[in-house]
Amino acid sequence: MTETNAVRKYSTKKEFFKEYKKKSRLQEIWRMFLKNKLAVIGLVIFVIIVLTAIMAPLISDYENDAIKMNVSERLTPPNSQHIFGTDEIGRDIFARIVHGARISLLVGLSSVIIALFIGGIFGAVAGFFGGKVDGIIMRSMDVFLCLPDVLLALAIVAAFGTSLVNMTIAIGLSFTPKFSRVVRSAVMTVRDIEYVEAARAIGATNSRIILQHVLINCIGPIIVQVTLYVANAILTISALSFIGLGIKAPTPEWGNMLASGRAFMRDNAYIVMAPGFAIFITILSLNLLGDGLRDALDPRLKQ
Amino acid sequence: MIKYVVKRLLEMIPIIFALTFVVFTIMYFTPGDPTAVILGNEYTEEASMRIKQELGLDKPFFVQFVRYVGNLIRGDFGMSYITRAPVSEQLIGRFPNTFKVVAGAMLFCVALGVPIGVFSGTKPYSLLSNITMVIGLLGVSLPIFWLGLLLILLFSVKLGWLPSSGIEGFSSLILPSIALGANYMANIMRTTRSSMLEVIRQDYIRTAKAKGVSQRNIVRKHALRNAMMPTITVIGMNIGALLGGVVLTETVFSIPGTGRLLVESINNRDTPSVLGCLVIMAVCVAVSNLIVDLIYAYIDPQIKSQYSGGRG
Amino acid sequence: MDAKKVNTQENTLEIKNLEIEYFSDDGIVKAVNGIDIFIKTGKTIGLVGETGAGKTTTALSILNLVPEPQGKIVSGEILLEGKNVLTMNEDELEDIRGDKVAMIFQDPMTSLNPVLTIGDQIAEGLEIHRKISKKESIKQAKEMLELVGIPGDRAGEYPYQFSGGMKQRVVIAIALACSPDLLIADEPTTALDVTIQAQVLMLINELKDKYRMSMLMITHDLGIVAEVCDEVSVIYAGNILEHGNLKDIFDNMLHPYTKGLFDALPDIETRRSELKPIKGLTPDPTNLPSGCPFHPRCDYAMEVCFSVMPGNKWISSTHCVQCHLYKDTDKNML
Repeated sequence: MTETNAVRKYSTKKEFFKEYKKKSRLQEIWRMFLKNKLAVIGLVIFVIIVLTAIMAPLISDYENDAIKMNVSERLTPPNSQHIFGTDEIGRDIFARIVHGARISLLVGLSSVIIALFIGGIFGAVAGFFGGKVDGIIMRSMDVFLCLPDVLLALAIVAAFGTSLVNMTIAIGLSFTPKFSRVVRSAVMTVRDIEYVEAARAIGATNSRIILQHVLINCIGPIIVQVTLYVANAILTISALSFIGLGIKAPTPEWGNMLASGRAFMRDNAYIVMAPGFAIFITILSLNLLGDGLRDALDPRLKQ
Repeated sequence: MIKYVVKRLLEMIPIIFALTFVVFTIMYFTPGDPTAVILGNEYTEEASMRIKQELGLDKPFFVQFVRYVGNLIRGDFGMSYITRAPVSEQLIGRFPNTFKVVAGAMLFCVALGVPIGVFSGTKPYSLLSNITMVIGLLGVSLPIFWLGLLLILLFSVKLGWLPSSGIEGFSSLILPSIALGANYMANIMRTTRSSMLEVIRQDYIRTAKAKGVSQRNIVRKHALRNAMMPTITVIGMNIGALLGGVVLTETVFSIPGTGRLLVESINNRDTPSVLGCLVIMAVCVAVSNLIVDLIYAYIDPQIKSQYSGGRG
Repeated sequence: MDAKKVNTQENTLEIKNLEIEYFSDDGIVKAVNGIDIFIKTGKTIGLVGETGAGKTTTALSILNLVPEPQGKIVSGEILLEGKNVLTMNEDELEDIRGDKVAMIFQDPMTSLNPVLTIGDQIAEGLEIHRKISKKESIKQAKEMLELVGIPGDRAGEYPYQFSGGMKQRVVIAIALACSPDLLIADEPTTALDVTIQAQVLMLINELKDKYRMSMLMITHDLGIVAEVCDEVSVIYAGNILEHGNLKDIFDNMLHPYTKGLFDALPDIETRRSELKPIKGLTPDPTNLPSGCPFHPRCDYAMEVCFSVMPGNKWISSTHCVQCHLYKDTDKNML
């Protein structure tokens, strides 16, 4: 045992006692998380974004500010009335961004839930049973991994059309192989731990083992991945909308706001600033949050 | 080594085949009548029937698929519904542009990301290292298309240094390469930094130090090759994402490449072209992954000796 | 080689009042708290203690390789043939590392660079310190391999092609390549199979005699000490609690901790059925007990032990103990 290892071991030994004597594991994770300033900033920003999305109708009127054309005020640079300015047909950019947050978060979260559900089932089965089952499932998932997920989403959207629901499904399906991998490896790491063996030995049935022990114990890495993939999904939505294959105008969506503002940006640079920044800050906050959670859940990874 | 290359090439075939099947299936079930797209205003029942027969669209799914794959092997991607020209011609015309942008982005990521990552990994408490971390963090969250627009605003509109669109000459490649590569540059930088940090505290680095090896040689001779392994993996994983991102970059910078062709074809419901683009990109991802694996095998003695006929 | 051995110093190594701290998230870890170690030229000292007692940190400090910036040498002197290692600059340190002092590490599995051939790894030190060509150094590296019992033509192979015991032989070859004056062996057999342990130990012992090296043998195994060492220091929570020659420690142990260590050993001769472990755990190094660090686990603890750190009490000219049970007067009584 090297000395540095010893130090590390001591700190975990100490945590070990803290964990079981004073605090629950959740509290310990929370304590670790709060230590990470960047992660806390990420969490705060993300909570603000979520609250904005929830309270969007209270903040600004959807029909009047975000949708209705107002030619007399078109291309107004930011001022006290329109803090982010107005777009090419006079709609308030701030209002559109606030309402756009709803779509981004809604599609982002639901597509990841789809991916988690389908990928989780495949991954858990593959990881738990191993052998041939694992081989067949993972080889077929590998096929999908060969195609970048934006392209896979594009293909699905191309085939089934560009409605909100189709896009959610498309993004969800395109993330499925990745989630099956995450869940599989998480399941595999806890599968052989003694308590699962013990549960098997006392005759618990396979499905009960999977559900009770394995999934509960691999929830940590999954939460981290969910966080990071919600960011990814939000990016994909705006990317698809930007190239005209996602949410179509007049529905406010950050990516299509950028696409329609693009033609006017040479003389009105502000028009692409706020929507792009909205995407950026949302993804940044989720990335910070995800990294922070990962470090808190697994202190060994921290450098 | 040749044995390894051949083995990997053979492994690629079923994957590309399976992928073609998946994409073909998705496109097959596209609702709507393709003959309506082909005929446009000249649509009649008769003409529709005639074209369906000509293109074999009246045949069952599997017959169509086998025919498509058979043609594919001969390099025939079918006819575009819109231009009525062979899809392969379109691809040959467009692909070099995509290749240039992706290669430029790749160069940008690796040439900048790796050295900065190495440096800040060896000096984890320096100012530069902290700046690197911040840039890395912001960089991975930047949407390609927004960054592209910002770059155009700054370097084309405001400063007038670089062209904002097209693919004429070297200067027009700079902005697209940066826009496309920035994300992955940040990613590579972060990975290299953290794997360097990890490697530098390994026992074998301590062994080397105890031998009296100088700090510079510790990094060059002992740490770098080990630290490169995760970086190469990340580069490999990013090639796919890079090819996905090229669709956005080509849209932002109006570059007539495969990505743009894909979007246009989707909008025109030009199924053979869509299929062609997706298949080509999938092949690209597979080939790039192969190259990355070969580099990996070259660095890792365990894989290398497995195939070079050495002992062990 | 022999020319180099001309050494006017009586002691190859003198460590005086060494204090080392680590900074961790949970506070300051006092790893080493004012220890003294003297190694006479050609002699072997065993540093015995439990995991986390500060053994490896002490060893690394001799090469000035305590990991920075977490670890910091707070005070003390480490004189290697009269020169203070702690005040040397990086160039001077690189000169002594591997040449005057070499180290065998605990875990052979992780101590070798996976992407370099073992030949290169042995030759590297020779190239640096002997200033010889690459070709010549590889030739000598092969000789070193033969010396540790590995065929020289395996020099072109990579670490993963060797077993644990073989790897440790390679590590030994690396350490001995430049025939150092002082060899530090940090639990060189702990990570090995029991059957291999004896082989490796014998090899070290043999080579040590052959090159007339001084050695610091770090271990938690009293059996190894008996086999290899001339003198023993018992270290606990960064303090040397007892020091003496083999006879002093094995036949006339004084400190309750040392006694505890022996009681925790199985004894074949008396076939005692029950081992007596030392009660309690090693103290939390971020929060060491006041007074004698061993008092919470000591059966003989007195009031004074709770507050006052016992100093060195010399029992004889070779035997020294840090414990309130013994008075300085003991020295006179002898």
